[in-house]
Amino acid sequence: MFDQITAYTNKLVADRSALPGEIAIAAQDDVLIVDGNPALAQLAGDVLARLSCLGLVAARSSLPFADFLVARAPRKESFIIPRDTETRTFLHDIPFLRREEMGSDPASVIARLLGSRKGVVVEGVGIVASGALTIEQAYINYSSVFHSTFVKYLQDVLHDGFVLPGEAESFAAFRRDWLRPLSADGLAFRCGPLADPAVILHEITTVGRYTVERGLVDSFFGNISCRAGDVIYISQTAASLDALAGCIDPVPMDNSSTFGITASSELLAHRRIYEVSGAATILHGHPKFAVVMSMECEEVGCTVTDCWKECDRVRMLGDAPVVAGEIGAGGLAKRVPPVIAGPRRAVVYGHGVFTVGEKDFAEAFRAMVEVENWCREEYFRRVAERLKIGP
Amino acid sequence: MGAVAVHGWTGRILCVDLTTRESRHEKIPAEFLQAYLGGRGLGVRLMRDWYRLDPFDPAMPLIFAVGPLCGTPAPTAARLSVVSRSPLTGTIYDCSAGGRFAWRLKAAGFDALVVTGKSATPVAIAITPSGTEIVDAGQLWGKTVHDAVTALAGRGSVAAIGPAGERGVLFANIMMGEGNSVGRGGLGAVMGAKGLKAVVANGDQPVVIADPERFGKARQDVMRLFRASPVIFGELGIGEYGTPALVDLMRQRRMAPTDNFRRTVFEGSGNYSGPAIRRDFHAKKDGCYGCPIQCKKSTPAGEHLPEYETVSHFGGLNGIASLASIVKSNTLCNELGMDTISAAATLSAWGEARGSFPDGEEVLRLLADIAFRQGDGELLSLGSRRVAEALGRPELSMSVKGLELPAYDPRGAYGMALAYCTSNRGGCHLRAYPISHEILRKPIATDRFSFSGKARIIAIAEDTNAAIDSLVACKFSFFGATLEEYAELLSATTGIGYSPQDLKEIGRRICLAERFYNCDNGFGVADDTLPERFFLEPGSSGEGVEIPPIDRARFDEELQKYYRIRGLTPEGMFADRDFLVKQP
Ligand code: SF4
Ligand SMILES: [Zn+2]
Ligand SMILES: [Zn+2]
Repeated sequence: MFDQITAYTNKLVADRSALPGEIAIAAQDDVLIVDGNPALAQLAGDVLARLSCLGLVAARSSLPFADFLVARAPRKESFIIPRDTETRTFLHDIPFLRREEMGSDPASVIARLLGSRKGVVVEGVGIVASGALTIEQAYINYSSVFHSTFVKYLQDVLHDGFVLPGEAESFAAFRRDWLRPLSADGLAFRCGPLADPAVILHEITTVGRYTVERGLVDSFFGNISCRAGDVIYISQTAASLDALAGCIDPVPMDNSSTFGITASSELLAHRRIYEVSGAATILHGHPKFAVVMSMECEEVGCTVTDCWKECDRVRMLGDAPVVAGEIGAGGLAKRVPPVIAGPRRAVVYGHGVFTVGEKDFAEAFRAMVEVENWCREEYFRRVAERLKIGP
Repeated sequence: MGAVAVHGWTGRILCVDLTTRESRHEKIPAEFLQAYLGGRGLGVRLMRDWYRLDPFDPAMPLIFAVGPLCGTPAPTAARLSVVSRSPLTGTIYDCSAGGRFAWRLKAAGFDALVVTGKSATPVAIAITPSGTEIVDAGQLWGKTVHDAVTALAGRGSVAAIGPAGERGVLFANIMMGEGNSVGRGGLGAVMGAKGLKAVVANGDQPVVIADPERFGKARQDVMRLFRASPVIFGELGIGEYGTPALVDLMRQRRMAPTDNFRRTVFEGSGNYSGPAIRRDFHAKKDGCYGCPIQCKKSTPAGEHLPEYETVSHFGGLNGIASLASIVKSNTLCNELGMDTISAAATLSAWGEARGSFPDGEEVLRLLADIAFRQGDGELLSLGSRRVAEALGRPELSMSVKGLELPAYDPRGAYGMALAYCTSNRGGCHLRAYPISHEILRKPIATDRFSFSGKARIIAIAEDTNAAIDSLVACKFSFFGATLEEYAELLSATTGIGYSPQDLKEIGRRICLAERFYNCDNGFGVADDTLPERFFLEPGSSGEGVEIPPIDRARFDEELQKYYRIRGLTPEGMFADRDFLVKQP
């Protein structure tokens, strides 16, 4: 288990969601083990010992957004409701613990909150997330909380501006230091058409890794596929984009076999996109600014309340159409295919981006970079505009 | 009525003594329901004074218990658990089944029906809102399940046994009217020994939900997660193809038991894959009452089509590639009221012992002989362990604690290997259901060829599933949803706050009570192991997948970890003899 702890500690550092040196992971087999930052490790162990779970991550987030959300929340509130829809589907809400509510035994208070939810924000301490079955699961839940608090904070700033001392400075530092330019420069893609299964599996694994390494998406959220003749090679459900070797299912287009039952929950969307677009590759992920901007609807007088699933308009973010729709057998498999063929890209409300490549992955990857860069610029443009006008 | 309304539970048990032909109502204290929920947990608790009795002792209770979610629109919750002691395994036994019967029993005002005693002549119990009647069932004795259900349908929803239960086949089922089975451990034989052919329930009281708005929201959350799950509503999932969606997957993972587990790939399995069943039998969706998933399939004429375990065991395990013959075997078992897994596995062990597996025709003849306990069926009706022992080849019974293993070869999934052994009802895949993460990647993937962490994972999953079996919900819900949403449904229904962690702790209490009963009845570390074959012989390696024998030392090490996690001694026993009396 120690190797696992090391692996996920490194991952939290590599994806820059947690601060190096301020990470602890606990795991219980027949005995409880902890590793990492001593104070956090003590807390992680004390919390996990009270839970029927195998793993737990406690780490200080690399950005102060979660703490800001807590401080900005009205006094009577005790949880954050994520706005991005995929995180919300799995987390429902994120409880938080204010500094002054920790009392003399913070571990038991945190354990009580984690007894009902997968992750919790502890003000001044960080994000604590559990995994019932594996350490990986605790890492994923940490990632989900990080992602959804990131998205929500960015939205809140856009809508309400800064309200706390220090926020403006932190935000500027985030923009200046934390964010990095996104590009596909220097990446090697195999030229299509791709036909040899071994080459396809290798290329999918490589491109999946690129998306994470370049900071385009979080590793656990997204899927990727390539069509060759009558077979769709698609990443498996609950697979990490940066570790796809052995996690790609070849699924026949005609459903003549069911072993693709382990394929991504978006298999149906991929299949329909192939049917209507003639594409050869599909990339799907949750780049954060695209998720934020997809929810900035400027429609006036719209009567839809559950925009993320009910909205039937096609809005535009630059040259990318935005549609609504739930994951899996819900709506997005219906709404994405009709809009993606022309622009080769589409954004799903509050969820993420689909891009396609005519022949290979280069085009799909670049399209995703373009969408995210456009949304990033547009976001900061709107924030600047808002701050100028003032609240 | 007390001052405080109790939501979710009725707070009453119906006790029927078939010896005296008396029935009475008993109150269940609210604390007691809150600590065990219902279904399996309630049944296990009610067994505390009786678990040492022989399963066929007239005083042995046969308990039908519903849960707090039954009667609400919670997805997959129209279910009950039947609890008693298994004549096949000798362990405490429970089995969950869907169907209207559960719903109607609760609607008659009961959380449980406890049947004791033995009637000298065949009877049925009829439960209506106005009272309980014990009715003569002489003319139904000997009838198939279908005929018995049809004859009683006018009185309400039916749970009945077939000829196999009447004659004491050790793996006889109790069948719900719509065809769902209370399977595996032979509780049909316990029912038969009581002279009880059927129970009919006809209640009509609605369940009042404490907080309908909260309930509605939680229900929406569950449905959203179902739609997000490829296994449930995915286009290749169980909603579309039923559990036979697993046939192709198990073939590809090289862990489909073949020829009595001598091999793990069956070349003919494509004949009975999900798509093949759909094509050849025009399968349509079917399923438990009120369930949105509808994972069961039937023909346009309404004949139930077999589940994954059944196609695989009547298929590859016996070397049979004909889907038509498999479907016939399944239908015959349902009519006679027998467990398909144990029946097929017993035939397979017997086939290996005599040197040839039965073909489709012979299977049908033998199934009838088993149900009526005639010819070779007399011996075969005792299940594979007793058959193999009688033939002097005990190693050929592919069972744990006498319960025949289902269609997941333990050499292909090490958590499954461990879970077969720690299961309190014997070699069952559903107690911890590691297939969910080892094969189906839900909620997350684990390495199927590693024991690392599996003891803890299995213990947590056993607790979780014990809670699910006490709500009572269907395990398949949890390919998408989690205890988080079901704890919400429970809290909304009862008005009492339950967290997922609370539910796991309840589950743990139930699992430990079961283990205590088993230990008290003589079970220990020697029983928590797999048939030798799995430690000695490899499976069918190929296509880049190695299926070696299981490393016994590593298995034993993980089992010891499990014991430590459970607070048991290295012999798998309770150090504290008073453990049970300290429980609520
Ligand atoms: S999923 Fe299948 S077994 Fe479970 S309740 Fe629904 S129909 Fe019944
Ligand atoms: Zn997505
Ligand atoms: Zn809108």
